[in-house]
Amino acid sequence: MEKNNDYIIQLQGLCKKYGEKTVVNNINLNIRKGDFVTFLGPSGCGKTTTLRMIAGFEMPTEGKVLFDGNDIAKLPPHKRPVNTVFQKYALFPHLNVFNNIAFGLKLKKIEVDYVKKNGENGVKQIKLKNFLVNPQTGSPDFSIAHKDYFSYIEKGYVKLCKIKKTINKMTKKGRQKKEVNGYKYYIDEKVRRALKIVGLSDYETRDVDSLSGGQQQRVAIARAIVNEPKVLLLDEPLGALDLKMRQEMQIELKEMHRTLGITFIYVTHDQEEALTMSDTVIVMKDGSICQEGTPIDIYNEPKTAYVADFIGESNILDGVMIDDYKVNIVGAMFDCVDAGFGQNTPVDTVIRPEDIEVREAGKGQLLGVIKSSMFRGVHYEMVCECNGYEFTIHSTIESPVGKEVGLYVAPENIQIMYKEHVDNTINVTFSSNTTFNMYGGEYEFDPTALFENCSYDSEQDILTIDGKECSLKGKNAKINFGFTDIDMTDDEYAAPLAGNVESMIYKGKNYIVDIKTDDNNHIYADTEYLWDKGDRVGIKIDGKSFGLVECDELFEEGENV
Amino acid sequence: MFKKLLSLPYALFMLLFVLLPLVLILVFAFIDASDGTFDLLANFKELAKEDALGKVVKNSFIAGFSTSAICLLIGYPIAYYLTKKEFNKKGVMIGLFIAPMWVNFLLRMMATKAVFSVLGVKLGMGTVIFGLTYEFLPFMIMPLYNTLLKIDKSYIEGAGDLGATPTKAFWKVTVPLSMPGVISGLTMVMIPSVTTFAVTEIMSNGKMMLLGDFIYNLKADSLNMAAAISFVLLLFMIASMVISNKYDKDGGKGGRLW
Repeated sequence: MEKNNDYIIQLQGLCKKYGEKTVVNNINLNIRKGDFVTFLGPSGCGKTTTLRMIAGFEMPTEGKVLFDGNDIAKLPPHKRPVNTVFQKYALFPHLNVFNNIAFGLKLKKIEVDYVKKNGENGVKQIKLKNFLVNPQTGSPDFSIAHKDYFSYIEKGYVKLCKIKKTINKMTKKGRQKKEVNGYKYYIDEKVRRALKIVGLSDYETRDVDSLSGGQQQRVAIARAIVNEPKVLLLDEPLGALDLKMRQEMQIELKEMHRTLGITFIYVTHDQEEALTMSDTVIVMKDGSICQEGTPIDIYNEPKTAYVADFIGESNILDGVMIDDYKVNIVGAMFDCVDAGFGQNTPVDTVIRPEDIEVREAGKGQLLGVIKSSMFRGVHYEMVCECNGYEFTIHSTIESPVGKEVGLYVAPENIQIMYKEHVDNTINVTFSSNTTFNMYGGEYEFDPTALFENCSYDSEQDILTIDGKECSLKGKNAKINFGFTDIDMTDDEYAAPLAGNVESMIYKGKNYIVDIKTDDNNHIYADTEYLWDKGDRVGIKIDGKSFGLVECDELFEEGENV
Repeated sequence: MFKKLLSLPYALFMLLFVLLPLVLILVFAFIDASDGTFDLLANFKELAKEDALGKVVKNSFIAGFSTSAICLLIGYPIAYYLTKKEFNKKGVMIGLFIAPMWVNFLLRMMATKAVFSVLGVKLGMGTVIFGLTYEFLPFMIMPLYNTLLKIDKSYIEGAGDLGATPTKAFWKVTVPLSMPGVISGLTMVMIPSVTTFAVTEIMSNGKMMLLGDFIYNLKADSLNMAAAISFVLLLFMIASMVISNKYDKDGGKGGRLW
């Protein structure tokens, strides 16, 4: 087994399926000790499921969860050295604040080596809640050197138990009073320390139901960190708080992470939260990792248009990499700092709104007209139309609507990305000479457009390719078609195949829509119209627009003779 | 105003059939049957003279407590497993526990008695408790099932996360959180089993009497004495309601027993 001391958690080929549905798909990830790692993605992207597999609430279908190099994927939650802060806190309503936080500590047992009276060595399991803090040293007594345990177990422990009973008798309320003759319960001390960390020192005896959302959140965090886990898992812990409280807690969580030195694994759909707090951000989509990197990397150098769209505001535009350091975006040439894409390669480009400089008309790379302007506090948000494409601009200086301006973007502010998909390439099976089955939908096509040297007699259904007659039925092929060849319709029964809109990315003029079919296949379409996520759409494709990538041998060997 | 009028039939019904009988019980309980005058203690003194009553009360409490305890012991695991996904199918619930209720309970008791006589089991306290348990088990399962179903799974996950084994999590989280269901189940079994009459009569062949049977037998000669016993039972019921309400006040989430 590969061991690496730097990594506390390693996910290897992690998959989770619910029946046919894949929620987490082959995640490989190394998490460094002491890092603040955030899983970021829209709801349903598998981030919470991944976290729950680390916590032990879900068993992975495949793959490993390594903790310090040991596979813990099959361990139940109570045997894992991690603690979780739940989305809805999950504080026990039947316990007060103190007992909620002490819950984990009360269950804990400490193994103590000691020397029996007859001189043999022994090990005793003693509940943590029986330990008292030594008033002289200020630390619990199990930290003394092994030799002393003889006296500790055989005499001291019994003595301490007696003291405990006296305390209970003296105060009647038992644990309410926490100090007699300078002796304190060890776990009381720990709970108090945890409460102090989260700033709720005077709340020990309060009912959890009487606390505000923010306070409950703090108790939930205290309940987790009091067990001194090696890794703290946080499942959208700030989701239920209002904006102000959330921002305050973000700072506090970051501070706690710094002082406690525990590895934090955080799950959120809020990109701002992820960027503010994390050392490493992992952007997820559809159960897979899109990009992993520092917040600055993720923001400045998104790898795909999806990441760019999800993180912050951006102008995502189609471009063509003319040559190294030269890119054509919406018809204008820009200098850039990227190379190695080859010549005339279609790419996605990202320009952040704050990176566009508004200049006088004629200066800069683009000429455009300001379409709208909105005051947003620190800056104005303006939309400028250039060559038919919209650019969003953030600037502290307002340009009046209707004014002709020049736009300038510095080379280092243009982020160039390979396109994830340039067309739809799909395996199909021919069902006749003019139809094929694609993802369960029957599409008509024009065979003369698909094959070279081909003629088709539609009345007698005779297909001739390279002068030879053949039948396509039952043959497999790989075909492709462009994004713009798709006609999306809201009447799903008017099209051979239907799907749901999974995501959309605005490209300045048009939208690239990711349509997920019922069998979880993806088809990408280019449309001018705005659809909503989840919309049910029919996918119509003109029979002439298909292209052939590869095809089964059309003629059986015997026929050539 | 019109809305208020709508409640009138209901109010009248309550007045006639709920409040009035209660008041009558109160009145009858404190009227001396011999001379028809108001006497706070006459009926209770008369009751004290009844030799059988001591035994009836004792039997009632033995039957009531053991029936509730047995119902809890049987009902809790059933309710618990019914809330689990694999078992949580309405069909199972109805088939096993509700369907017997569709059969007239007298018929069920007679049938049970017949089975016992075939098996040669001696009728008595044991068979009475069996009959009562059979009769009232659904009343235990229902509230328990509802409470257990309401317990958020994240509490159990939270306990596991904090180091509790599934057994520990059950005792330290599930059980305390299901206390309201336990209390209301116990109330719903205890009170009717103490005051029922036909079951004892059938299952003990008329040899044993519970408070219900006692009242039933009394009513012919002395309505006043029957009212007095009912009054005492009423006090018990109110007391148990107060106790169960106290636990329900915790938002239905749990009693503070741990």
